[in-house]
Amino acid sequence: MASNRPVIVAAGRTCFGEHYDKQPEWLMEEAWLRASEEACIERKDLEACFISDYFLLLTNKLGLEEGFLSELTELHVPMDFTRSFSSAFSNACNAIQSGKYDLVLIGGMEKMTDRLAKIRDDLMALGDPWSYYAGGTPEANHELMLRAYVKKYRIEGDDFEKLNLALAQISVKNHLHALKNEYAQFRRKITVEQVLEARKSAKRLLGMYDFAPISDGATAVILASEEVGKKLTDKPIYVLSSASATDYLSYPARSELTGFISVRLAAKRAMEIAGLSPMDIQLLEVYDQSTLLEMIALEDMGFCEHGTAWKAIYDSCLNYKGYYEINGRKLFVNLNGSWRKTS
Amino acid sequence: MSSEPIERRISYLGDRLRGRRCLICGKEYFDLRDYCGNCGRKSFGKMADIDFFFEKGKLELCTLVNEPTNKFRKFGSYVYGIVSFHDGRVRVPGRITDMLIEDEEIDYSALEGKEVVPRFRRRYSVGKSDIIPTISLAFTFADEYYPHQEYVILKPKKEYETPGIVGYGFYTSRFRIKEDGLERAVPFIDEDAITAAVEAGKLALIHSGVDHSLIGKVYVGSESNPYAVKPIASKVAQVLMLGEEDEGVQGVDAIDTEFACKAATSMFKDAVALVNYPKMGIQYAMVIGADNSQAAPRDCPGGELDFFVGFGGCAYIFGKTDVIAEVEGWFSCTSDTPDFWRRDGEPYPMHGGRFTGDPAYFKHIRKAAKKLMEKMNLKVSDINYFVPHQPNIPFPVKIARELGFKEEQYLPGLQFGRFGNTYSGSSPLGLAAVLDIAKPYERILLVSYGSGAGSDAYCFMTTSQILEKRDRQKMTVRYQAENPHIKYVDYYTYRRLKIGL
Repeated sequence: MASNRPVIVAAGRTCFGEHYDKQPEWLMEEAWLRASEEACIERKDLEACFISDYFLLLTNKLGLEEGFLSELTELHVPMDFTRSFSSAFSNACNAIQSGKYDLVLIGGMEKMTDRLAKIRDDLMALGDPWSYYAGGTPEANHELMLRAYVKKYRIEGDDFEKLNLALAQISVKNHLHALKNEYAQFRRKITVEQVLEARKSAKRLLGMYDFAPISDGATAVILASEEVGKKLTDKPIYVLSSASATDYLSYPARSELTGFISVRLAAKRAMEIAGLSPMDIQLLEVYDQSTLLEMIALEDMGFCEHGTAWKAIYDSCLNYKGYYEINGRKLFVNLNGSWRKTS
Repeated sequence: MSSEPIERRISYLGDRLRGRRCLICGKEYFDLRDYCGNCGRKSFGKMADIDFFFEKGKLELCTLVNEPTNKFRKFGSYVYGIVSFHDGRVRVPGRITDMLIEDEEIDYSALEGKEVVPRFRRRYSVGKSDIIPTISLAFTFADEYYPHQEYVILKPKKEYETPGIVGYGFYTSRFRIKEDGLERAVPFIDEDAITAAVEAGKLALIHSGVDHSLIGKVYVGSESNPYAVKPIASKVAQVLMLGEEDEGVQGVDAIDTEFACKAATSMFKDAVALVNYPKMGIQYAMVIGADNSQAAPRDCPGGELDFFVGFGGCAYIFGKTDVIAEVEGWFSCTSDTPDFWRRDGEPYPMHGGRFTGDPAYFKHIRKAAKKLMEKMNLKVSDINYFVPHQPNIPFPVKIARELGFKEEQYLPGLQFGRFGNTYSGSSPLGLAAVLDIAKPYERILLVSYGSGAGSDAYCFMTTSQILEKRDRQKMTVRYQAENPHIKYVDYYTYRRLKIGL
């Protein structure tokens, strides 16, 4: 276990959805203000910022977010920019643990709707260019992964129906959680039938409710060293470990088509560092660009055997109580921000 | 807007599906990698160039794309998936092309596992002033219209004194429009004169068994090059790797020619002369005629052509080894007769009704045919097959009869009724149909016609080797004419596909 454990002292968010009247850095400011208010700190208390966005270069032709934020905050602190929130988080943890800083801001922002008309082309061009050149869409790789999964684990007949229902239930569950999140983009209950109907009208394996929406928004987290963190909050959340890994850009070229090697490596390493096993984890927030990816994550991270996560999801969701039951244990997954309100 | 360097890199890799294989561990990549991920530094300099252009792949997984990205919108719906080569050692993304998907349900599992052939096509839509993007990550099923054929390079067996045709290939798409009993070839939406030229050249290489690196010049005749300035021939040279490649440059001369429908036949004699030039040792020259024959819509000026235009490409390789038909002689004639033209910047040609028949087509074909027969001291009975340019059916029939040819002499080469007018590929297609069936030591008289105007007449004499090469080509003219996988489209679809991306 890490010494000098970084502490999350506060978090803030904007609403997610379309913010056509706001600059991306304003969204960051809004999220930061909420977090700083919660932690009762001022801008000048920050020693560094670790900010991330994937897409502003394309959507907003922003190449120097650091400068925009420096101007907005009138701060001259170091600002590190990375491609993902998790890598910003990981870098911030490293910096805190190294003893270099005691209080930093971690942020993530995106402004997807500013160039809505070409966002799917840009997502493909950036995320998997050769698939784009061959006609791939942001949805197609998920559907191919689902095909690969069904074939690899020979899921047929009733099981195939249950797998499809389990994926639909993921969407239903995530919408349900979002009801409790005042920042959520879509706060409405949906049914399994709606998810299935959307797939049917799309004539594809996955439909509208299986995919993450296109949205604008920002999130900020205040991270502190253990010593400083304890002074700022009486409910510190310790970062026990962090790890990351990478994989090929091009999905078809990857050796593993029914999961993510990078997720497996990173999750295993993070649990090793923390001295934990999946059995010790009670709450999980995973990347869910599609319902499939939430299911796959349960397998890649070691909560379910490969090829079986859909069973646990299906059974848990027949009478959903707010969590999945996996091997007789409760696992809260992708609460979509509802946890802070209900706890 | 395109980036020229990015376009160059994508098409250099993607048109030919180039890759590298590690000579130490055998790992393969669809990429020009300098080292192997398994073997690391010790593999530097030990990565062999490979490509998948003539290979067949397997469709591993697929799904339907019915909400394409912007650049693919004109495709409508299509099947997209992952294709593997070499027993799964390399996997690439791929779009299944030559499929018109309406409302039917796609049974993915019936398609997965099927063998597919990479096809050189346009990649996606771009602005009218941009570089035209191409790629070979488009695939068709090997058990459908376009079979997989290996490209096996043959060691030449026999040298000839007189140069001639060493191999040839005709290509047209699987789509047809059928009106009044006539069938005309229609390109798929991602096809154009460039892709047809590459396909024809590819089939000619397969048929000839000629080493692609020994081709010293390639001529592409067309009147529907989608570029006003930029040769089709350079694309053909790069994709088919004609001449020795060195640092991404092909050691081959490549040129586009234009003279309406005789742009290709005009160059036959130049190709023959080139391979006969004693000092430079150029062994082979390739001549391609390819057109996505243009016509204005029916209710517009020039729209009368819309009843006749076809699509396709025809390629001939000339040389002095393993010749299947010697070039015995030629005669060309030219006059400034404005019977058909297309002004620069105009999308469709105009057609001078007054001149089309006698002062144009008939006069030039008659002149060229008669002069050549006179020069070579030939009678009609000395000629087994007569192949005139075929913009419709009445014209070639009329001139054939007038010259004294009988049906058995001119019908085998008359292919208009199955493919339409393939412009630069028209009389070359007739010649291909004859070569597909000719016996050794038969004489063929080919007379092209190009508006503007002129004709090239050629006499060919087949050799004994025509038979031994015949088995090397499945994609014969007849195979494409009578293929059970042909798809017929209506007029609206025909116009849409023809206009393309």
